[in-house]
Amino acid sequence: MSAPTNGFRRTLAELSVPSEPGNERRAMEEVAGTVGGLGLPERTMERLKTAVAEATMNAMEHGNHYRREAPVLIEVTATEAELSVKITDEGTGPAAFDPETPDLEAKLEGAQTPRGWGLFLIKSMVDDMNVTGDERHHTVELILHLDGREEENDGRKAL
Amino acid sequence: MAVKHFEAEVRREPKGAVLDLRGEINGFAQGTLDAAYAEAEKENPGAILLNFEGVDYINSTGIALIVGLLARARATKRDLSAYGLSEHYVEIFNITRLSDFMGVFPDEESALYGTVVK
Repeated sequence: MSAPTNGFRRTLAELSVPSEPGNERRAMEEVAGTVGGLGLPERTMERLKTAVAEATMNAMEHGNHYRREAPVLIEVTATEAELSVKITDEGTGPAAFDPETPDLEAKLEGAQTPRGWGLFLIKSMVDDMNVTGDERHHTVELILHLDGREEENDGRKAL
Repeated sequence: MAVKHFEAEVRREPKGAVLDLRGEINGFAQGTLDAAYAEAEKENPGAILLNFEGVDYINSTGIALIVGLLARARATKRDLSAYGLSEHYVEIFNITRLSDFMGVFPDEESALYGTVVK
């Protein structure tokens, strides 16, 4: 698979994942297979997989309450400049993420719950994240900028 | 997709207890991981090493479980270290700051005697 020509957004895949515990791995592997031909550096691919898994897990848990009949929908699109992965659940209102910024020291002292890493991991793994929603759906969009991505192998992305 | 099994076994080494972890560290791993850690604590070792060589996936719930183990280790003034993480999970240990509170090593030998990975 080659990168889409400049200016045009191409749909690479539309996936549906039943909301069952553990299915975030299925989502991340399917997305990884879909974008495998884009030539992403391995490190970027691993980051994308973690972000997709965490966003899917959040959608299954908080959006769809692990109802198997309520699938998480995943749309993968790309232009020459960016890769977008939209993850949509059937929740209402704002997407449910723990709003508290994780502070490991506070967690170790019991001042914060040990959980609450999902949003932090997603934001750390991708270049941009957009959250939208209406009365019937939440959508989390993960964005990777593809321009100059190969240079990332030489150094850490600013977090 | 079937959820992969998680296993944990305790090994006693002269410098501490080693927890050999295999599979996925997610919410399903909690009971097994907690039980194995309790087993590792039994002989009151000064250090416990988490061996991640057989682990191919850790999600945010798994990170929370490791935070819980680290809190237990600190409460009992025991060193908790990790080795055998993939490059990606070393990065995650760095950005979550887990690596600020526990040694992260490439392999068992360096975990017992050598150099931290950053």
